Amino acid sequence: MTQTQHETSTAPAAAQQALPMLHIKVKILRFDPEKDRKAHWETYAIDAQAGDRVLDVINEVKWYQDHSLTFRRSCMHGICGSDAMLINGRNRLACKTLVRDVAKDGGTITIEPIRGLKVEKDLLVDMEPFFDSYKAIMPYFINESPAPAAERIQSEEEAERMAQSSNCILCACCTTSCPIFWVNGSYLGPAAIVQAHRFIFDTRDEATEQRLNIMNQNTGVWRCRTAYNCTEACPRDIPITQLIEEVKRAVMYQQA
Amino acid sequence: MYKGREGQWAFLLHRLSGIAILAYLLIHVFSIGSFMFGERFYMAIHETYDWPGFRVGLVFITAGVVYHAFNGLRIIVMDFTGAGVAYQRQMWYGVMLITLISGLYAAWTLLPRLIGGY
Repeated sequence: MTQTQHETSTAPAAAQQALPMLHIKVKILRFDPEKDRKAHWETYAIDAQAGDRVLDVINEVKWYQDHSLTFRRSCMHGICGSDAMLINGRNRLACKTLVRDVAKDGGTITIEPIRGLKVEKDLLVDMEPFFDSYKAIMPYFINESPAPAAERIQSEEEAERMAQSSNCILCACCTTSCPIFWVNGSYLGPAAIVQAHRFIFDTRDEATEQRLNIMNQNTGVWRCRTAYNCTEACPRDIPITQLIEEVKRAVMYQQA
Repeated sequence: MYKGREGQWAFLLHRLSGIAILAYLLIHVFSIGSFMFGERFYMAIHETYDWPGFRVGLVFITAGVVYHAFNGLRIIVMDFTGAGVAYQRQMWYGVMLITLISGLYAAWTLLPRLIGGY
């Protein structure tokens, strides 16, 4: 017993001593609307541990190298969805990406703002168009029938139907990885369709037809050309393309 | 360039092959229709097709049509079944294989023309 205690108490400290520091470069696409006419790359040298998050690395830059670096982050644990960035050519959450997964010792991490939305400053983009699309699908529970005394009951299967789309944290990783959205900002985008899926396949909700009609408009679900970038990018592992295809089928069978 | 995976390239190639097929069809209709203006005009246009770029283009248009057709089937399977989405990557490699084989077959069949012209 004492031996195990001894082992567990020293193990973390020993591991920490053994952890080597990685010397990496962080290349960030900077843009200051008050000074710059065009975005430009700036590179910072950083020492980081393999297990650090990319967000720690950016914080290091902001706190100790360049205070003017601007980006969003809030909970720092992959729940609030604030720090979506284009890291090494793919959309990811900076707080859910470990340094060891994107860079080796002596390597470079490139960080850009997510695409398709107007860059306000550095990594900070205007999220309003994204949330306008979210609002367009009526992201709230609609049921005009009087509420029962207890709960509105769902079976386990019925709850399972909307389990995956309920996982969305609205980080915009998917929508801003979509080639169609980059070219056509009026497309509602994968995130809004996933949110619509959550209510369309909610058996307690009564506005299914209205939502399917919104999905059937020319800014809706038919703009999806199944490039799968959204599914690859989702930090919550939602099978987004599969859900979009389910909504497409729901729209089609509704009209049949 | 965004580092998407197979799906992104499947989408991009589908667009490009679609545009190529449309361009080919327009040129085709125009050059056949040019017979309305007489044989000399028709032949003048058709002799320009002996240019090496057009000869090699024949192989690419064959591959383009085959890719667009089979990837179209892949998209239909994805749109109508959940399994299609689950196996889209494997299906795309299948499409690429068929495209490659038919491209090579076209190149082999057209070899005399590729080298020697008309």
